[in-house]
Amino acid sequence: MAFIPETLLLGHHGTEGAGRAEDLAFQLAAPGHSRVLHLLVVPDFWAGMQGDDWLNNASTRDVFARYVEGMLEKDAAEQVAALGARCRARGLEYSSLVRFGDPTQCLLEAAAAHSVSAVVIGPPRPKGVPGFRSGVDFAALVRSVRTPVIIASRG
Amino acid sequence: MVYTIRSPALLIIGIVMLAWGALNNAGAVDGLQAWLHPGVYKEHAAAKAKQEADAKAAQEMAAEGKAAPEAKKPSASKFDGLKANQARLSYAFGGIFTLVGLVVLLRKPSEGSADYYLSVIPGIAFILLIAFIVRWGLDPIFGNWGKAAEPTLGWNFARIFNLNYVVIGIVIGIVTVNVFKIPNWAANGVRTSRFFLKTGVILLGTLYSAAELAQLGALSVVMIGVFVLGSVWLVLLMGPRMKAENSMTGVLSAGVGVCGVSASVAAAPVVQAKAVDIAYTIGTILIWGVMCMFIFPTIGKLLGMGPVQFGAWAGTGILNSAQVAGAALAFDPRGIETLKVAEIFNITRVLFLPIIVLWLAAWYVKREEGAQQVDLKQVVISKFPIFVLGFIFMFILSTMGVFAPPGHYQGKYFSSTEIKEDKLLKSKDLEALQAALPKMRNEKETEALKALIADKKETTREQDGILRSVAKIPDLDESAKKALESAHKAAWHTSKRITAFRDWIAWLFAFGLIGLGMQITAKSLKQAGGKPLIIGSMVGTIKAVGSLIVVLLFVREFV
Repeated sequence: MAFIPETLLLGHHGTEGAGRAEDLAFQLAAPGHSRVLHLLVVPDFWAGMQGDDWLNNASTRDVFARYVEGMLEKDAAEQVAALGARCRARGLEYSSLVRFGDPTQCLLEAAAAHSVSAVVIGPPRPKGVPGFRSGVDFAALVRSVRTPVIIASRG
Repeated sequence: MVYTIRSPALLIIGIVMLAWGALNNAGAVDGLQAWLHPGVYKEHAAAKAKQEADAKAAQEMAAEGKAAPEAKKPSASKFDGLKANQARLSYAFGGIFTLVGLVVLLRKPSEGSADYYLSVIPGIAFILLIAFIVRWGLDPIFGNWGKAAEPTLGWNFARIFNLNYVVIGIVIGIVTVNVFKIPNWAANGVRTSRFFLKTGVILLGTLYSAAELAQLGALSVVMIGVFVLGSVWLVLLMGPRMKAENSMTGVLSAGVGVCGVSASVAAAPVVQAKAVDIAYTIGTILIWGVMCMFIFPTIGKLLGMGPVQFGAWAGTGILNSAQVAGAALAFDPRGIETLKVAEIFNITRVLFLPIIVLWLAAWYVKREEGAQQVDLKQVVISKFPIFVLGFIFMFILSTMGVFAPPGHYQGKYFSSTEIKEDKLLKSKDLEALQAALPKMRNEKETEALKALIADKKETTREQDGILRSVAKIPDLDESAKKALESAHKAAWHTSKRITAFRDWIAWLFAFGLIGLGMQITAKSLKQAGGKPLIIGSMVGTIKAVGSLIVVLLFVREFV
């Protein structure tokens, strides 16, 4: 009997691995039946990105914070819009969750709160490939999650 | 929004501090204090024993009908002073925290300024409690362990690794945020650490003479001018050659060149840095900063550097400004001579910041189509560090003699007519110095020490500077070190108010650096990578090694 998911929780933040997860989700999902729940996590390391700056005055720090927030917000909005459009083009229902925090924790919370059929995520980024060091802790995810987790292959 | 979190934590901290003050006052922790400070306690016990013996002898003489010598009023020992100081601070802050803690618990929080200001007190108390534990407990413990292990290891690990209150405090700050997390009730207050560091810099303005400031200022402008502009230029040169994007090159050049994270924060919006540029750059600078804070003081000690040399080197070679202060205090935690030098370099760096931001803006606009032009006036005004004005104001006040007699700073007691006979070195001091002569590392040190032995006092500021460096020679005999300290003190009369400022400055920096340590997260450190890590490491190494060579060749201990 084929697995036809009702809701797939897709962890997607625009990377190459996320693209593979997206392809996998589209293979699994049934048009007109399945819903893609897109989880986009803004990693919480950004909270520490002013580090130990102490020389700047408050206005310079505010300008920086607004600049970074604006950039992350714009990036998130663009990704949500793009993935939403691709899902709808395939006849899939789409909804999104944008969260700020630890990616693994956010995935676990979203999976628990939305009673999803499966969690679909991309493979770990190969060493040497540039990108943020804020990926999913696969061991922690598998240990705690109550739903099936499907990890896309590197291809 | 309501910021204050109702928690008994502040009240508990206040009560703990009050209890510590009371225990010290009652003498209930004398055993513990004696264990923590064996040297000071030994002197205290010896003075007490002598006093009792004198009293007993006087009683016996009186019993025999002889005239007993007049009893001298015993002066408070260092040990008593140490306990009294801890009790005073514990009572003052414990009292405030207990009262505010009660208010936090009993008052129903409501929105407003009062709520916001109240919300920062628990975090301040949290950092201060750590500062007390570190400065009064862990610092002497590691010091004692270092000495105890010296015969076995052959070297004092606490001294070589600078395991003093500054380094331990920063490490505890970093461990707190990454392992235990900062409690919610303390989060707002922890952010005030910047304010306290800036206050420390402002107070530092009271400690410079005009000549000192002029000479240190000139030295820092030359060093920072060469190395800041040089490293910004080098990154701008390397970036395009390594095919790094202009925005990445721009934000990295500010961070690596000027004052680390602060400069990256100031420059990122101007060069329209991308998220990944910022993450890589700040991660790289933080890692470098933390590494340098541990490595620089150890190298400085191994090379026998003095406060001016080390301050100049740390102030130029360490990428991140917070770690400049940390390294300076780690190198010289008791006096703050090194911090005085290093902070002039930090101030010079931050004054260079608007110039560098404008340079980068012009550089970026030239290379990127659609880049926004920046307003010169707006950049200069918005990036100007206002606390530097406070520093200058305090310096002016102190130069006018508001805090101490004007002669205080010039070392007027170098002149032979004004030094009292009882301040001259005694014969046992001279013997100790004579024995130390073979340990001098160069002709200048030998000459300065011979002159001191001949005159029994220091006669010039230059000689004082050289002998301050001599006092730091690792295997110098303790009695020789004490003699050098006596000669220095005889020439430099420090006013009580200035001494108090020094103590407060050390506390403010300790407090600020613990708080800043709590803002260095492992997650941000982990972001170090990509081309910024390669370019930053290369330029950072060139800057550190280059400035070390320049300092060793051209910077003398006398300022």
